Amino acid sequence: MLAIGMEGSANKVGIGIMLHPKDGGAPKVLANVRHTYISPPGEGFLPKDVARHHRAWVVKLVKQALREAKVSVADVDCICFTKGPGMGAPLQSIAIAARMMSLLWKKPLIGVNHCVGHIEMGRLITGADNPVVLYVSGGNTQVIAYSAKRYRIFGETLDIAVGNCLDRFARTLHIPNDPFPGYNIEQLAKKGFRLVDLPYVVKGMDCSFSGILAAVDGLAVSLGLSGEEQAKADDERINSGEADRDPDARPTRADLCFSLQETVYAMLVEITERAMAHVGSKQVLIVGGVGSNERLQEMMGTMARDRGGSVFATDERYCIDNGIMIAQAGLEAFKTGFQTPLSESACTQRFRTDEVFVDWRD
Amino acid sequence: MADYKPPPLPSPFSFTQPAPTLLTQGAEAHLYKTVSLDPSIPAALKIRPSKPYRHPILDRKLTRQRIVQEARCLVKLIREGVKVPALLALDWEGQGGDSGWGGAWLLMEWIEGPVVRVVLEQWEAWMKQNSSSLDEAQRAREEDRVRDLLNRMGAAGAEMWTPMGLLWRGEIVIIDLGLASQSTQDEDRAVDLYVLERAIGSTHPRSEALFDALLQGYRESYKGATSTLKRLEDVRMRGRKRSMLG
Amino acid sequence: MALETVALPHLPASLPVHVALYRNVENSVFLRQQLLAGNADFEYALIDASMILSRQHAITAIFRAVNDYLNNRLKSRNVHSEIVFAFNPTNNIADSFRKFGISDATKDLLIVKVSTSPEISHDSIAAHLKDSVQGTLVAFDSETLSQISDVSKIKKQYKLGALPSPGAQANGAQDDSIKRQLELSLLGAIALRGS
Repeated sequence: MLAIGMEGSANKVGIGIMLHPKDGGAPKVLANVRHTYISPPGEGFLPKDVARHHRAWVVKLVKQALREAKVSVADVDCICFTKGPGMGAPLQSIAIAARMMSLLWKKPLIGVNHCVGHIEMGRLITGADNPVVLYVSGGNTQVIAYSAKRYRIFGETLDIAVGNCLDRFARTLHIPNDPFPGYNIEQLAKKGFRLVDLPYVVKGMDCSFSGILAAVDGLAVSLGLSGEEQAKADDERINSGEADRDPDARPTRADLCFSLQETVYAMLVEITERAMAHVGSKQVLIVGGVGSNERLQEMMGTMARDRGGSVFATDERYCIDNGIMIAQAGLEAFKTGFQTPLSESACTQRFRTDEVFVDWRD
Repeated sequence: MADYKPPPLPSPFSFTQPAPTLLTQGAEAHLYKTVSLDPSIPAALKIRPSKPYRHPILDRKLTRQRIVQEARCLVKLIREGVKVPALLALDWEGQGGDSGWGGAWLLMEWIEGPVVRVVLEQWEAWMKQNSSSLDEAQRAREEDRVRDLLNRMGAAGAEMWTPMGLLWRGEIVIIDLGLASQSTQDEDRAVDLYVLERAIGSTHPRSEALFDALLQGYRESYKGATSTLKRLEDVRMRGRKRSMLG
Repeated sequence: MALETVALPHLPASLPVHVALYRNVENSVFLRQQLLAGNADFEYALIDASMILSRQHAITAIFRAVNDYLNNRLKSRNVHSEIVFAFNPTNNIADSFRKFGISDATKDLLIVKVSTSPEISHDSIAAHLKDSVQGTLVAFDSETLSQISDVSKIKKQYKLGALPSPGAQANGAQDDSIKRQLELSLLGAIALRGS
């Protein structure tokens, strides 16, 4: 069975083609193409600009994916698209393309929950069969465990997502958004070593990031580190090694990035560990864009090893938003007989992970 | 997968003869059975080992904060005459391991009895196996029994909420204050309740309805319950209403 | 009665603790002077026994001090002054000596010595105490201590005035549970000091 997956819930538009061989063999990724809308340093992305970007790229990417997969439209069994959650305008631009393809080619539509897409793709790629899932991205922060046909949310952020916290701090420090802000924060953090005191907010299995963002933003301002000119001056200070020696010297932007990472990732590992202890699982799967962060993976690995378990993570092809994960989760649902009629294909900005009936798992 | 080995015990328990026995490994704490300062009386030893995944400065700060908060909570309740295990000894900067920092520990009275969580799990497993052979009245009786247990659990936690850390031996004794906030704020109490509700819902999909019984007990034995439960409604909605965009 | 040697659970066997409880002590002035003069032969923890509620109360304070000694974080001069300090619920060392340490008027005295080196043995301590302390050696147990302790002073020092006092109840079982609650509150205060 063959599915096209279409994703565009945030600033990436991705098209994937997934084959589930009829003989029950291992699923094959035939194509997985993506294009990212990148805003200038110091700025975030606006939904209308992202939607325009997606509209401009979606047809090109579908054609490219079909070419790379060496399949024709006749081979396709269903069209899977992200129904939510995500930003309204970008979601709609992709949903419209999916509906059009469904009508044009007379193929059934499958509306997919973006988070469930991440989880199913993570399970497929890593082979983790029943992990506790940490889903971390610019829009979501959730700790999830499967139980009785649902992906149940164990813990989540009470305010902004961890990726949003990192993205917004990158803007404060004028860190480039290319390839993505979290990556550049991670690179800068490698040059930092002074841990500044930031709030640490874990409540039960939930956490909160807005207070931390306000605190670290405030520090950046009071240390004179926010803005473009300041960024240049600080880079010189970091690269000259002047700030290296004295542990009590004024913190650099690198120190702030280091401290922010150490704090928020410790919170994420902590709530994940709590969920693991609760459900008695030894596997962790990290999905979502922030999941490509090596420091987070390293910390999670240390925690899992100390519990006698292991961590599963995917590389940026699969953990950053992509089309193939939508195809994978969509095909699983399609095989149980699930379809989304045209009349119910409206997308939704709010679509909880635990709303999906996971009929394809025991 | 490597077999799990708990971290070495912090000082002075590396000297304890016979060595303490590991009972459970929670997310943040290990619970051991050992003796009190009188070798003929048993005691529970709770260790919060250092967490090598986090920055040592952050690790010490959090570990200390939490063990001290839990210990203070126990002492406060003992003074108020609430049934909790008494604090016998404490060290928030236990030494040990390669780094010299071995985590924090507290030694408390040993209380005999099954943990409510285990009682619930056993009940569920038993029901799953036997419910088909029970008639309507028997099933109703079984459910009443568990509802009563949860009802009393709600009552026990009313003054000082503590998810799942309750012990049952005919009466309910709070044994785990690791998550208790020792706060009189509705917000904190409500979040604690919410965490418990979801914990029951996530691990006990068949007992979700039983949470109501627990709330009933809570309502009946805690005079501030009305405003806390009202806040619980808000907390429940918070996750659902929140735009998942950040 | 003789000097008791206590092997505290959890502490290394190489650190035995020797404890003697005396009543009707007649040379408190002399003993206190040796302490003030820093006479090394008299390096003992000398505690006014009226400030001790029970054996467990004393053992808990001794454990705290010896554990802090073991982990190199004494707040006072040595492990023996630390034992006196360990009885105190606050961080004021001078205050702890005033409230719990021997005074010129002390009649009932708990003496504690930790074997911090092999030369300090049960026999050497017993001999030295026999020559130095003019008083009656009695059993170091809760029953004896209950005849000595000044409950209202203890409650005041631990700021536990709100707790009911044992002895005021006719019902024996109720009295026991009141005393137990007070005892456990003392243990908690000792464990929490400095937190």
